[in-house]
Amino acid sequence: MMSSGVIMGQYYPASSPVHAMDPRAKILISVVFMVVLFVGNNFYAFAIMGAFAGLAIAASKVPVRLLIRGLRPILFIMAFTMVLHLFLTPGPAIFKIGSFTATWAGLIQGLFIGVRLVILIMFTSLLTLTTSPIELTDGLEDILKPFTRLGVPAHELAMMMTIALRFIPTLLEEAERIMKAQMARGADFESGNMVKRAKSLVPLLVPLFVSAFRRADDLAMAMEARCYRGGEGRTRMRQLRMAARDFVAFGLVIVIAALVIVVRIRFGPVVSRV
Amino acid sequence: MPIEVRSLTHIYHRGSTSEAVALKDVSFRIDNGEFVGLIGPTGSGKSTLIQHLNGLLKPTSGEVLVDGQNIWDKGMSLRKLRQRVGLVFQYAEQQVFEETVRQDIAFGPRNLGLSEREVMERVEEAARMVGLPADLLDRSPFELSGGQLRRVAIAGVAAMKPEVLILDEPAAGLDPRGRDGILSRIQEMHRGGMTVILVSHNMEDVARLCGRLLVLNKGELVADGTPREVFSRNEFVKKIGLRAPDVVNLMEKLRERGWNVRTDIVNVDEALKEILRELGKEAPVLS
Repeated sequence: MMSSGVIMGQYYPASSPVHAMDPRAKILISVVFMVVLFVGNNFYAFAIMGAFAGLAIAASKVPVRLLIRGLRPILFIMAFTMVLHLFLTPGPAIFKIGSFTATWAGLIQGLFIGVRLVILIMFTSLLTLTTSPIELTDGLEDILKPFTRLGVPAHELAMMMTIALRFIPTLLEEAERIMKAQMARGADFESGNMVKRAKSLVPLLVPLFVSAFRRADDLAMAMEARCYRGGEGRTRMRQLRMAARDFVAFGLVIVIAALVIVVRIRFGPVVSRV
Repeated sequence: MPIEVRSLTHIYHRGSTSEAVALKDVSFRIDNGEFVGLIGPTGSGKSTLIQHLNGLLKPTSGEVLVDGQNIWDKGMSLRKLRQRVGLVFQYAEQQVFEETVRQDIAFGPRNLGLSEREVMERVEEAARMVGLPADLLDRSPFELSGGQLRRVAIAGVAAMKPEVLILDEPAAGLDPRGRDGILSRIQEMHRGGMTVILVSHNMEDVARLCGRLLVLNKGELVADGTPREVFSRNEFVKKIGLRAPDVVNLMEKLRERGWNVRTDIVNVDEALKEILRELGKEAPVLS
């Protein structure tokens, strides 16, 4: 119902080399990839990066259809930026609508931004699609660990993320149950204007918050009863270990980065600014 | 207002990998003034079934008729239906949200569009019906005990004056006094003319209160009869994961030891009489 089309944050279970990678390597590769994607300023760079992304997608066994479906929520933003670029870039005109002029340069610039967004979304969704939430938070915790000296509560942040992810389905189920209970008392969530509909949510939200707080209390108590006292001195059941494939993948990204920088210097931007 | 269910089938998440058949070809009819117990092991489809009776769930196939009218026909108002068929969910106290008990019980009747005076009359009447002291009405619901809060929630539905009242485990998680209190109030509401459908895991309760039992197992209606009829099939009841009331087992054990007692007894009072009869003694007068 609500989740249709949104694949960001969803996990696609499968056994593939990409799934088997160390989550830290995957997170770092994604960060480097995103930076390089914004360093690249022409279609040659995108060809290289697109090839790399395609390779990763093929290796991950995630159906391409699923990734394409994930683009749906950003279609509007993509169309919007492309239109803006089409009309707001100066240069020789293609056609005119009123006082707005569409330009060739704008068309190319718009396409360029569109392609960049597609690669960005596809590659980053691959991270969450191939990494379970638990692995993801474990990896994130490890990456943030060096910053604990600066006062970043790495373990606590990761634990909060894990708990939040764990309770999303529970809360959805609870919301549905309370909604039905109120509907049985004649509540109406569907008709009326904005104000009336917002007001009709009170009988849903109050019990939902009450129970969420109660759950949080119970969970904290249960964690303390099992001697949880934060990250200090805590060991892990699943140890994260980098393997050969992680280093190979990381090396590949570094090579890609170098290539993109070379291409950037050699060919220059897609639309040369005057 | 009779309720009739005709070959009702419900399938959750149809067409996805988590597809699950919750109800399979269930049919029955409940007449005015009946007190029906709905029993079955966990996951047998009890909650799914009762949500069909007031239109919270739509059948995958089959029909639900109220007063002879299919509730999913065009022109039928589900909100009107939900006023006539009241449903109290399990752990109903979790639905309470208003600042005072009075306001919370008033939520249902207000949704019916009644005048403020009538709403207040109904609130007080419903509070009396469930045995809620009047001085609690202006307190915050969050100051109340679990048992009192459960009563508030039941009053919230009773205040809509439904003709049929469905309760899903109304006594679950309460202490013995709270449990007896709530059940005897429900019994009184039934005597007042309401049709009651009670979902419960407590076989003693349903044997004592209900005139008729519907037994669900794995989404199918596997028995429909008086408690005596259902529990006399002790082996069958055990097989589907339920347990007949203790007195049924007691009478069977006595019989095995050679006592000449009836085994089709489902409540303690009858059992006492029967044992005393066998012993040739008069029933003591219980104060």
